[in-house]
Amino acid sequence: MGRPTTIENLKMNHPFIEALQEIYPAERLLTRDVQLLPYESDGLTAFQTKPGAVVLPVDEDEIISTVRLCHRMDVPFVARGSGTSLSGGSLPIADGLVIGLNRMNRIKRIDAGGRIAVVEPGVINLHITHAVEQYGLYYAPDPSSQSICTIGGNIAFNSGGAHCLKYGMTSNHVLGMKVVLADGTVTQFGSESLDGVGIGPDLIGLFVGSEGLFGIALEITLRLMPAPERYRTVLAAYDNLGRAGDAVSMVVASGLLPGAMEIMDRLSIKAAEAAVAAGYPPDAEALLIVELEGEALQVEAEFAQLQGVIEASGAFEIRAAQSEEERARIWKGRKSAFSAVGRLSPDFIVQDGVVPRSRLGEALQRIGEIKDKYGLDVANVFHAGDGNLHPLILYDGREPGALERAEALAGEILAMCVELGGSITGEHGIGMEKRDYMPAMFSDLELEIMMELRRAIDPVEIANRGKMFPGLEAPALQQHGLHPLEKQGVISRE
Amino acid sequence: MNASAPASVGELQAFVKAKERIHVVGNGSKPTLHQCAGDAALARTGGFRGIIEYQPQEYTLTAGAGTPVSVINAELKRNGQYLPFDPLLPDASTIGGTVAANLSGARRYRYGGIRDFILGARVVDGLGRAFRVGGKVVKNAAGFDLSKFLVGSLGRYAIMTELTFKVFPEPPQHRALRLRYAALPDILDAVYYLNQNIFELDSLEFAPADAGWSLLLCLTGFADTLPRRMGALQESLRADTAALEAGELDGMADVWQPLAGLSGAYLVKVALAPKQIPALDARISHMKRRYSIGGNLAWVATDDLKRLDAVLLEQGLRGLCIRGAASSPLLGMPLEDSLSARVKRVLDPMNKLV
Repeated sequence: MGRPTTIENLKMNHPFIEALQEIYPAERLLTRDVQLLPYESDGLTAFQTKPGAVVLPVDEDEIISTVRLCHRMDVPFVARGSGTSLSGGSLPIADGLVIGLNRMNRIKRIDAGGRIAVVEPGVINLHITHAVEQYGLYYAPDPSSQSICTIGGNIAFNSGGAHCLKYGMTSNHVLGMKVVLADGTVTQFGSESLDGVGIGPDLIGLFVGSEGLFGIALEITLRLMPAPERYRTVLAAYDNLGRAGDAVSMVVASGLLPGAMEIMDRLSIKAAEAAVAAGYPPDAEALLIVELEGEALQVEAEFAQLQGVIEASGAFEIRAAQSEEERARIWKGRKSAFSAVGRLSPDFIVQDGVVPRSRLGEALQRIGEIKDKYGLDVANVFHAGDGNLHPLILYDGREPGALERAEALAGEILAMCVELGGSITGEHGIGMEKRDYMPAMFSDLELEIMMELRRAIDPVEIANRGKMFPGLEAPALQQHGLHPLEKQGVISRE
Repeated sequence: MNASAPASVGELQAFVKAKERIHVVGNGSKPTLHQCAGDAALARTGGFRGIIEYQPQEYTLTAGAGTPVSVINAELKRNGQYLPFDPLLPDASTIGGTVAANLSGARRYRYGGIRDFILGARVVDGLGRAFRVGGKVVKNAAGFDLSKFLVGSLGRYAIMTELTFKVFPEPPQHRALRLRYAALPDILDAVYYLNQNIFELDSLEFAPADAGWSLLLCLTGFADTLPRRMGALQESLRADTAALEAGELDGMADVWQPLAGLSGAYLVKVALAPKQIPALDARISHMKRRYSIGGNLAWVATDDLKRLDAVLLEQGLRGLCIRGAASSPLLGMPLEDSLSARVKRVLDPMNKLV
């Protein structure tokens, strides 16, 4: 592989730009600095890179032509939705092309009887639920950024959310797709059947979560679910974090299968309370949120059982939401925890390592020891049901060396997750951020096979070059505060 | 035919390196898949038998690929759990064969198929390389997810030696209902009605039955609320669909054994969407058939495979033959090739695994 072609900014006579002009009108081909600025970063704000150009396709032919052009001229590209990736997955490649998919936002078809929706990649996650709720249906995966993140991005990173234990992540809700591979090949797999691919290897499972390294999804057939008839949401307060973790084990041991089980520690409770006044018990060391969902009669029976379990778990205060408003308030505190913590600290890093659920207590204790060693604060909010931690590491980037210490602390947490038999990422993906930790989780051979696979699909490695695999060119780390949309409260990290 | 049952990953690697063409077989419960292997050396997975790790509180189970499904089911049952994807042939097949052929039973309707519950695997590829794919925890987004790719791969890309699944608590009680409808369109209307309703069904099946069609469904949950839920479901189907009669069934067998009564030389799985059923059914009305998981899968038994193959091709559908001597188990529309061929190039460039 030779040196990559790059687009020298503003040189409109560059042959690649000229070729793009054949595909795009001027208003959808961005090359000026001021136009490129919004695309320099994503949800992982510690990284910034200036792309050479941004194109905004409005149909799949434009995307296909663009990918083929990039392949032919060896120009690296990054497909980008709303840029909410927390792992730097949609960070541009220096002087490469950004293919912005927000205008590919049509819901092409809804088949309520068949419980499917066919959508373009730029459709916003929550808009699907809005479009189908009139039929009593919803789209299940619920990343915290669901009011802004796109399905294309969800597919690239196999996004999760608070309600993954029962119904899975994005991959489990994709039945069919049409994609353009990184070398310009257009292919389709899956179907409108609930059985998805059904016969032959599950290509959907392979493509979803490939972090944009295989190509771009052009059209996606999604599975819809019946909207639960009843929710029952319980908030329990504990005087120590370990007891909340034990309560999760007790719920699981009782045979219940809640839709969500979340835990917040003291620092995140305090932050959420200050930010949105969720009304959480002020002196709690830990909060556990358990949500049951489904048919009303069944949920009420489960709720009776859950109450018994929680009462026996040593909670000093138990509240059950009595109305949809109360339920929303409980979740508002949880979902705003990250940006709320951001208000306590100039900067923070969020990780999403996974540990076996039974080792949550041990993991939290070790995070406590690690943070003491580094002299930084860590707030913990996590999807307890599936052992998915979300430690928020607080630091002040104006302090020399603070970012590096925070990164080192984060690295120790990831190493611990692997050591405990878990994963370095449950839902945010590897992206730019966790590339160097891949060898902690995978052997040289396993990484080599993944790289071979990537090259078999993208021989010139132009699709999201520099992500997922360790040791490739990386942009310099920079620091600054919240994502602009986060400051406005539009998005939140989970 | 030369067959071998490697007892360790090392032995399997040596076997793969030594042979030119290899076909993997578990218990041989899907004969068609093996009859097509020709002169390939058989690699039996019996050496990879047994539950390796099971932590009920983690909802995860790891077993050797050659473990009989019945062994796994029994162990899970002791702990009040189950494989929600409902392996199709629990008494006859191994877990590896179930994954390789992607065969789920009726209960797959509630929570999802094998792809939704597989978490990771250990494999030996066509180059004899042994490695891991996926992970062992219920949630993992690191690296390419080759474990899902193994589902339906028919052992043609890599040989599975170990598999890890997410498991769930099994609902304590279940009850089944049968409704009779005059014709297929009435049944499909009922399916669409149920799809837009709040009932969380464990399974939803239908098939032609004496002078009409039977809709079979099952609800699970707690004993004290199940009768009321069942009553509400029955009432709503009586009121809002064209059901001629309805009655509870004594056992689950009629619902949970989709292959019962499907006699014929060949047995074929067809993946389809409910809306594709009318056109297909009109062409195969002389064949024994059952529509499973809410009409998203058809089981067809026939003596005339050629005819079925032609019909599937004409309807734009794919089939997998698991019983009967066929020249290929794959019927109807050809499989997608441009992505899977690249995976083949990486994992089995010499085309050893057939």
